[in-house]
Amino acid sequence: MTDNEVGNIIQLENVDKYFGQFQALKGVNLTVAKGERVVVCGPSGSGKSTLIRCINRLEAHSAGKIIVNGHELTDAVKDIDAVRREVGMVFQSFNLFPHLTVVENLMLAPRLVRKASKDENREKAMQLLERVKIQDQADKWPSALSGGQQQRVAIARALCMNPEVILFDEPTSALDPEMISEVLDVMIDLAREGMTMICVTHEMGFARSVADNVVFMDQGEIVETGPPATFFDNPKSARTRLFLEQILTH
Amino acid sequence: MSFDFALILDSIPKMLMGIGLTLQLLFLSLAIGTALAIILLLMRISGRWYLAAPTMVYIYIFRGTPILVQIFIIYYGLPQLEFVRDSIFWPILREPFGCAIVALSLNTGAYVSEIFRGGVLGVDRGLTEAGAALGLSARHRFIYITAPIAIRLCLPAYSNDVVSLMKSTALASTITLLDMMGIARTIVAETYAPYEVFLSLMVIYLIITWIIQRTFGWIEKRMSRHIRSEV
Amino acid sequence: MEVLTGWWDDFFWGSLVVVELFFVALFLTVLFGLIGAAAKLSNSRVAKAVASGYTIVFRGTPEILVLLLFYFGAAIILTSIAQIFDPAVKFVDFPPFWAGSLAIALIVGSYATETFRGAFLGVDPGQVEAARALGLSNLQTFIYVRIPAMWRLALPPFGNHMLSLIKDTALVAIIGLEETLFVAEQAIGYTAKPFTLYLVVGMIYLSFSTIITLSVMACEKYANRHLETAG
Repeated sequence: MTDNEVGNIIQLENVDKYFGQFQALKGVNLTVAKGERVVVCGPSGSGKSTLIRCINRLEAHSAGKIIVNGHELTDAVKDIDAVRREVGMVFQSFNLFPHLTVVENLMLAPRLVRKASKDENREKAMQLLERVKIQDQADKWPSALSGGQQQRVAIARALCMNPEVILFDEPTSALDPEMISEVLDVMIDLAREGMTMICVTHEMGFARSVADNVVFMDQGEIVETGPPATFFDNPKSARTRLFLEQILTH
Repeated sequence: MSFDFALILDSIPKMLMGIGLTLQLLFLSLAIGTALAIILLLMRISGRWYLAAPTMVYIYIFRGTPILVQIFIIYYGLPQLEFVRDSIFWPILREPFGCAIVALSLNTGAYVSEIFRGGVLGVDRGLTEAGAALGLSARHRFIYITAPIAIRLCLPAYSNDVVSLMKSTALASTITLLDMMGIARTIVAETYAPYEVFLSLMVIYLIITWIIQRTFGWIEKRMSRHIRSEV
Repeated sequence: MEVLTGWWDDFFWGSLVVVELFFVALFLTVLFGLIGAAAKLSNSRVAKAVASGYTIVFRGTPEILVLLLFYFGAAIILTSIAQIFDPAVKFVDFPPFWAGSLAIALIVGSYATETFRGAFLGVDPGQVEAARALGLSNLQTFIYVRIPAMWRLALPPFGNHMLSLIKDTALVAIIGLEETLFVAEQAIGYTAKPFTLYLVVGMIYLSFSTIITLSVMACEKYANRHLETAG
């Protein structure tokens, strides 16, 4: 399961997040160890997206501490940049850059942030595209690809900066049903290779087979966490039970 | 009331002599105005109130008053002020051409900066977030993600503004400049034949408008290659 | 501003002329816009062609040219007509107020045509289908479903048309209408302070455009009140 000797790669201590008057996160405590696969689930509005968006500072937390790979997240741009280089993100709506081809999408960040040379950059990008089995679309525009293909490119793009952790924000929620498995397969491969990941998703099958730890959130709080076996078969909290009933029976 | 075709054939070449001035007014004001618009845009979206507020006031004033009044203030009004007459800009502001360029540029700058701002706001937030998640700095995100997409979004409105600017150049004739409009007015004053002269001038302006629109249509098509999907 | 004493009431009356011109032109603009949109949306090829010609001509021609053409052109027509009755008549002046309001209404009306057409096409077809399914007649559907949707869509761009209208009224001074610019020119003759006086004219127009902008904002808020969600 978790490997405490290597240390925790992500640590959230008592994190609060307010949007105006509305409190989206209430006293969240979470640790993620290197190589751990965490699935975060919960009803909409529970704060799960907000949680992971705080980890790469797309949202700024209002109180508490967030430490990623030894860097504490503050307003300081240096800290934020350092964290973002090591944390990759895959979005629900893919967010591929429409004005760049598939391979150019992957090459942009390494070129600008790591000043990679053109040939090396392209070679690395093509390798990543092969890894997600989409190398023959390399020179196409994103708009020419299906949703499932675009999301696989998005995963490859997240990998192009060699992140230590990848955050997934409902990666399959915007996909037609027949494309969900091609994306989940890529994510399962990544998990098998030992990538640390935090995944917000409704795909409970994925959670059961891949997750080391399942986190259930409701109304801004972490209600229950546990390995999939205990979480799904023996939930401790009534709220968890209710959620599982709603999501697993229809 | 007869239509004097001979007059038309005689007047058109004379009016076309003014096309040089018309085009100079157009291109110079467009270039300066667009450059100004970029500066104003960056100030407006900088997030710093001391940059954004004056910009918003400037835009509000220049979009809220008639351009004719702006031209008059600069050409007739500024000479009243001593510090203007003593400044280094006086040689420019003393001449009607200089005043026209200044007025048109300042005016266009205000409109175009709002057009650019509309384009920037139209860029899907998710795309800049994806850039941020990849570790791109704010500057890089603006140059490589926001700007290319925003420019394409702005093109229709920008092309409309270029047409508007072209039409505004005709107002230079009110401060003695002999662009096409100015020459036309002189001819009409001499011949009392407004239909022949003004209608033919109208055709010339319509041709210029058509050229502007076709050019931007072509640019837009080229910039949208990536949108026409094959799926 | 001691220089302005004695001129305040002249400016007041001049501003009143501007307001009158604005409302007359506004009425005509809506009229031309609706007719134009109806023509473009109709099935008649002739109507569509005429409407297209209308929008192309009036959107591509400088406003000042349209104004001068109408003013001098109308004067000539009137003079010819008058000369039929009384050959001694040399020149009949066409009131600049009417030449001006007609001209600027035709110009802004050509933009309004596109706005109204876009608003009509922008109505959610699903809503129209629902209305028909409920048994509403064509006319009822138009009044109770299409129009409420249309005016909400047309409001923001139409607000811009109104701003164009108020600014174009300044141009009518060129054909002699005695409004604010005219007053300013007279005052300049006496006071030799062109900057101050044209600045006053600018501020008058700025107040008008502010009033228009605020009114449109209030209208938009009212129009969209059904969309305000709790929290």
